[in-house]
Amino acid sequence: MSLKLDAGIPDGPVDKKWDKHRFALKLVNPANKRKFDVIVVGTGLAGASAAASLAELGYNVKVFCIQDSPRRAHSIAAQGGINAAKNYPNDGDSVWRLFYDTVKGGDYRAREANVYRLAQVSNAIIDQCVAQGVPFARDYGGALDNRSFGGAQVSRTFFARGQTGQQLLLGAYSALMRQAGKKQVQVFPRREMVELVVVDGAARGIVTRDLTTGRLESHAAHAVLLCTGGYGNAFYLSTNANSCNVGAAWLAYKKGAGFANPCFTQIHPTCIPQSGEHQAKLTLMSESLRNDGRVWVPKKKGDNRAPGQIPEAERDYYLERKYPTFGNLVPRDVASRAAKQMIDEGRGVGRTGLAVYLDFADAIKRQGQAKITEKYGNLFDMYHHLTAEDPYRAPMRIYPAVHYTMGGLWVDYNLMTTIPGLFCLGEANFSDHGANRLGASALMQGLADGYFIIPYTLGGFFASSKLAKVDTSHPAFKEAEQSAAGRTQRLLSIKGKRTPVSFHKELGTLMWNNCGMGRSETGLKEALAKIPAIREEFWKNVVVTGSGAEFNQTLERAARVADYLEFSELLVRDALERRESCGGHFREESQTPEGEAKRDDANFSHATVWEHAGEGKPPIENREKLEFKDVVPSQRSYA
Amino acid sequence: MRWLCDFLNSSIGKKISVGLAGLFLCGFVVPHLLGNLLLFVGMAQFNAYAHFLQANPLTPAAELGLLALFLLHGTVALWARWQNWRARPVGYDTVASKGGRTIGSRTMTYTAFLVLAFLILHVAMFKYGWGSAFHDEELFQRVMDFFRNPWIAGGYALALIGLGLHLSHGFESAFQTLGVNHPKYTPFIKVLGVLFAVAVAGAFAAIPIWACFLGGAK
Amino acid sequence: MNAQEKTMDVTLRVWRQKGPDQPGRFVSYAAKGVTPEMSFFEALDTINEGLVAKGEDAIAFDHDCREGICGTCCLTIEGQPHGPDQAATGCQLHMRAYKDGDAITIEPFRARAFPVIKDLVVDRSALDRVMASGGFVSVNTGSAGEANAILVPKDKAEAAMDAAACIGCGACVAACPNASAMLFVSAKVSQFALLPQGGPERDRRVLAMQRQMDLEGFGNCSNEGECEAVCPKEVKLANIARLNREYIRAMFWSHEVHPKVDLEGQEE
Repeated sequence: MSLKLDAGIPDGPVDKKWDKHRFALKLVNPANKRKFDVIVVGTGLAGASAAASLAELGYNVKVFCIQDSPRRAHSIAAQGGINAAKNYPNDGDSVWRLFYDTVKGGDYRAREANVYRLAQVSNAIIDQCVAQGVPFARDYGGALDNRSFGGAQVSRTFFARGQTGQQLLLGAYSALMRQAGKKQVQVFPRREMVELVVVDGAARGIVTRDLTTGRLESHAAHAVLLCTGGYGNAFYLSTNANSCNVGAAWLAYKKGAGFANPCFTQIHPTCIPQSGEHQAKLTLMSESLRNDGRVWVPKKKGDNRAPGQIPEAERDYYLERKYPTFGNLVPRDVASRAAKQMIDEGRGVGRTGLAVYLDFADAIKRQGQAKITEKYGNLFDMYHHLTAEDPYRAPMRIYPAVHYTMGGLWVDYNLMTTIPGLFCLGEANFSDHGANRLGASALMQGLADGYFIIPYTLGGFFASSKLAKVDTSHPAFKEAEQSAAGRTQRLLSIKGKRTPVSFHKELGTLMWNNCGMGRSETGLKEALAKIPAIREEFWKNVVVTGSGAEFNQTLERAARVADYLEFSELLVRDALERRESCGGHFREESQTPEGEAKRDDANFSHATVWEHAGEGKPPIENREKLEFKDVVPSQRSYA
Repeated sequence: MRWLCDFLNSSIGKKISVGLAGLFLCGFVVPHLLGNLLLFVGMAQFNAYAHFLQANPLTPAAELGLLALFLLHGTVALWARWQNWRARPVGYDTVASKGGRTIGSRTMTYTAFLVLAFLILHVAMFKYGWGSAFHDEELFQRVMDFFRNPWIAGGYALALIGLGLHLSHGFESAFQTLGVNHPKYTPFIKVLGVLFAVAVAGAFAAIPIWACFLGGAK
Repeated sequence: MNAQEKTMDVTLRVWRQKGPDQPGRFVSYAAKGVTPEMSFFEALDTINEGLVAKGEDAIAFDHDCREGICGTCCLTIEGQPHGPDQAATGCQLHMRAYKDGDAITIEPFRARAFPVIKDLVVDRSALDRVMASGGFVSVNTGSAGEANAILVPKDKAEAAMDAAACIGCGACVAACPNASAMLFVSAKVSQFALLPQGGPERDRRVLAMQRQMDLEGFGNCSNEGECEAVCPKEVKLANIARLNREYIRAMFWSHEVHPKVDLEGQEE
């Protein structure tokens, strides 16, 4: 235990903590704000909202994204919606209930104070987005519409058709571009962060690679915000976009930032199944579909009749059978595992046998096709495009896939990592979702961090820290540039036989089989033995074509795969150490007689925070004890 | 007045100028056509109409206005066309329309030049008697003299088909440019545009065809 | 897995260009053993894997989400931006659209405002600059009122959403015979013109965005409708009419004038 893990949670009752803290935070004089430079890496919901809000306050912001435009960050692909405790439908929702549901949904592995704050600011997010012109769904009176989503028993989800993430991101992007137009933000697209620069123990800048020219560029600042998303692509096949990667977080980890709970990965139950070996990524279908779709498999093993040929009596609506109260709306981890069980029993459907049915026949009969089109039209179209099957006529085939990662860089209540001046927002941090994220909560967290938390806490950091003047002439930048250049050179000089993608596939398959929906000690130990071997081969036998001084997608991919080859070892180690099941982390040794996840609160009610001990040395395990005062942990039950 | 320059300079301002001028020109074409149709009624009536126009003191002013509209419509469109050509310096190897374009819209520039060439000849021949054996004949006679020549009559008919194509896109397009696009009315405007193009081109072209090939000029 | 998969061989004729100022040319690649379930991009991936394994430069092409929402992909496939499918992006195209022996030409989106970076990758930052000029509602974080205090008629909200669905891919520009960006600009202007939130700065917005669009070197709209036909999100031509209306309103009824050209701002 060597990391200082002081979360800095304010005293007092949970519902007063954030107010108290905001008052306690020191302020930066308005005239002095322009003297502070802030670097924001990533332009998803967290990054774009943070950059825009900080620029509005008067800080000088530089924002970096890997894509060709800030508008393309993968938040754009979120479909279902965003939660808020507005209680517009008058169905008993409240800040307290959203807080309670999120802590419970996270299987009691999140920090109470953070979650409460998230629930608290959720309403302001909706207000802000509406004011920006986000076209949320409305009813005929012109008021905002809500739906229930992913296991919630109240309708608290706001949505813009099946494109909520897109609309929220475009809202944040428009706020960001407004500041770019005012020159308060400088936007750097097609840039990848390749080094974090730490001076006197504080994060003071980054080195980026201009992806179009290969040029390395140094940028100095008073604080660095990583808003770089999750690491689901460690599994090769996931619903994440191609450019999602762990690179920035991994660089931070190696410079001393603690990495918390990497084994908390979420497997989403409703994705379009893999169609073959060539598959490059998986596509998610919003789980809002489970509001009207019924999940089933044939009762008989190996029943390969067409779905329409299987009579009602020979179908097993297994979610409705096993969980009569929640039925098809059980949380994601539960639904995913149930699907895996069915498939392991040999009752999977489709050509590969790796799928279950999601059937809308009853909903269409009850509500009419027009209503279903209104609710899910774009999702049905998407499914049709990808599979050439018409989901209005035949049931969809779905299968679980890696989707979101709850783990991430450890942050305190101010969203600061263990490196002073390095903050981490959104999916990239670990703070709010515990071991499982509820549907429609990712958008909420990203925007809460960016719009309503960092503008306060960053000011508090600036006002209470003495930061020496550092610019890019500081030797630390030169060093960082050299180290980044060296790494590129190393990759280019191997000139082996295997492509970066082939290594990524090999790693991903291993991760999915041994550290996916079900994890066992044997499987994890096997993975832990195999990963270093793959890594070793990678550094001997990878081929990276082209040069470092040009647009080179092969080089980009190779560098990201190299990160995954290191990071996934940490993920597996974390999974091995956590000898309990909780949320998305299912250890086969720890289950109830009914096959549900069994937590071990006595031994694992903590966040595991890993610390880099140097190249080639095993990481050091640290723990942040979790305390539950307001939501008493109980065995999650959705039966 | 900077705003007015800005307006004419802007892409939307240019298209509004072209569209508006085009609609005014459509407005000119209708009475012109109705007047010409007097040819079918009889020599006396047509010549009386011609005399009325020639004697009217407002005619030169109207002609100037018309010329200005033509110049505005043509030069601004040409300027925009030049910019459009510059907007894609490297063209496609393969081009396949996914829908949207029509023969009319594809050929706007060509039909524009066809109509321009036609207009120059048309004014020179009928207003100034260029190529006419006499210079003091009645207009009816001049028209019939010219249209007795099948080349002239055929050329006229061809140019008017060009005008029809131009209108088939231009009419509807002008409404879109002026912001008139509404699910309730746009289908109507589209049909009207096609009807207008067919009617104008057809009725105008009927004159030389009748005169030359159906014995009208006897 | 068990069923014998049908495969096909196709030839991809791809635009290769080393860098922005270098000449380009078409190079043909054979894609063998392609299955109908494969996406078009996965066929390209397969070719790239083969190239890299041979030590040759992979074909550079932009792609990210591969589910039709991020707007990153920008290929012109057989003369059609995003390929033959209606209402779909290039990444949603599947090889079942083709048959054995087909030769398919792939080019980048072409426009002066979208210079080629490499091969099939183009620079579309012009669209970001248009957004920065006015594609927003000026509301600072924290200053918003209660969300339901603003009522929006459902039909208006739906129409705004139809326009807001734009993914900024630039296919409208690529398909337009004039390389005009009117559909893109009209989508954003329409979204805000339809919503009460966009009201206070609607005149300013349309003038600023229009001006920036022109400065970026896009062509002029001539109402051909190719943009609408190619738009993966089915953004309608009616939005362009609305943009024209907004422009006329701003020009002749409001006190606003075009923003002064900020040449500094033009330089990236």
